[in-house]
Amino acid sequence: MEEAAVVFYAGPFAITSIVITTWGIILLLGVFCWLATRQLSLEPGPLQTMLEGIILLIEESIEAVSPGYSQQMMPFIGTLWIYILIANLVGIVPELHSPTGNLSVTAGLALLVFLSVHWFGIRNEGAGYLKHYLSPSPILLPFHLISEVTRTIALAVRLFGNIMSLELVALLVLLVAGLLVPVPVLMLHIIEALVQAYIFGMLALIYVAGAMQSQQNVQGVS
Amino acid sequence: MTFDWTTFILEIINFLALVWILKHFLYQPILDIIARRRAGIEKTLTDAQQIKAEADELKQQHEKFLAEWEQEKERAQARLMAELAAMRENKLAELNDKINEEAERRKVLDERAKREFERRMEEQGIAQGIAFTTKLLFRLASPELEAALYALLLEDLHGLSKENKRVITEATVVPELQIKIQSAFPLDENKQNELTRYLSDVAGRMLPIEFQVNSDLIAGFQIVIGSWILHANLRDELKFFSGSLQHATAGS
Repeated sequence: MEEAAVVFYAGPFAITSIVITTWGIILLLGVFCWLATRQLSLEPGPLQTMLEGIILLIEESIEAVSPGYSQQMMPFIGTLWIYILIANLVGIVPELHSPTGNLSVTAGLALLVFLSVHWFGIRNEGAGYLKHYLSPSPILLPFHLISEVTRTIALAVRLFGNIMSLELVALLVLLVAGLLVPVPVLMLHIIEALVQAYIFGMLALIYVAGAMQSQQNVQGVS
Repeated sequence: MTFDWTTFILEIINFLALVWILKHFLYQPILDIIARRRAGIEKTLTDAQQIKAEADELKQQHEKFLAEWEQEKERAQARLMAELAAMRENKLAELNDKINEEAERRKVLDERAKREFERRMEEQGIAQGIAFTTKLLFRLASPELEAALYALLLEDLHGLSKENKRVITEATVVPELQIKIQSAFPLDENKQNELTRYLSDVAGRMLPIEFQVNSDLIAGFQIVIGSWILHANLRDELKFFSGSLQHATAGS
């Protein structure tokens, strides 16, 4: 996998094509959402029905894992699913690369998940949230900390590795077999993009939900 | 596989910006419209339930009203039937009374008609009998019968009661009195003298007596002294007989 090309410099910061792609995704999503939700009606058209279906699907998925917190968690978890899915699928477009095929991007997302876990935990459980690191025994604190770090790293590397390898395989097949053969690989790319987005978002949801219910688990154990 | 801190930091910022954008331009509007629709549906459901409850209540009231109306109808029908039965009984009784009255009246009329018929028959029979008797007596009228009736006249005159004799005496006192002795057949001299002598004896003086022949008497005599009249003839006897029969018939 080649390095992301630097498009321009903003002072000391080198703005790479990955960042530009992300901005493009954000811009397209923002404009699309603004246009799509400008004139919502109680009697929805096809586009509004589709959007409502997506939002309700996200809400039900969150509600199934963490009942009662769907409104609170939807902006973060829903955005993870939508952004990662689109970022994964961007790789299909010629001359573009999936942002999620870059470790810096997936690491940033994983860090956000790591922070959001503690953010939601403290927000809902208060300072007592941190007690679960001492449960069932303070001796297990290092293991808890290692677990937090490793699962965050795993989250970042899993997404990065899958998407990067997928693009690499597609490139290799294209180079070896010509133009028509990669079509099934592209179908596999779409499926993989969906699955990886779902896995990342679902893991983030489970981590956050686990943090929000940690105090209950502590009380249950004690 | 290199790690670019700038991309890492910018990606975090970009993602947070995307979260904000999607929250304000996707999640919130969609959730709001869904909530509004759910509220509308809830309101519609609530209204529908309220309307259903009202409809159920109205239905119950209607059923109750129908039941009461049915009961009232049955009571009214029962009253009507009772009134009709009573009216029918009254009408039947009145009709029976009228029938009985009519039968009674008819019976009376029939009896009256029967009696009238019988009376007419009797009168007709009497009239025919009298006519027959009159014809018979006209055929039997003869000087012999006249002589027998004369004997009866003399017997009656000799058998007069004192009261009758006093009446005859008083009647002959009237001046210019006409004494008539009518006979169906001419009387001979002896009989005229005998009657004159007897009546003069009763009156105590000689009386002017006029003798006349009247064939209407059929047979027999009629003596007229003022208001006193002595009948001894078949015509007057028949009249008397006929009058008696008619009187007896009318009395029955």
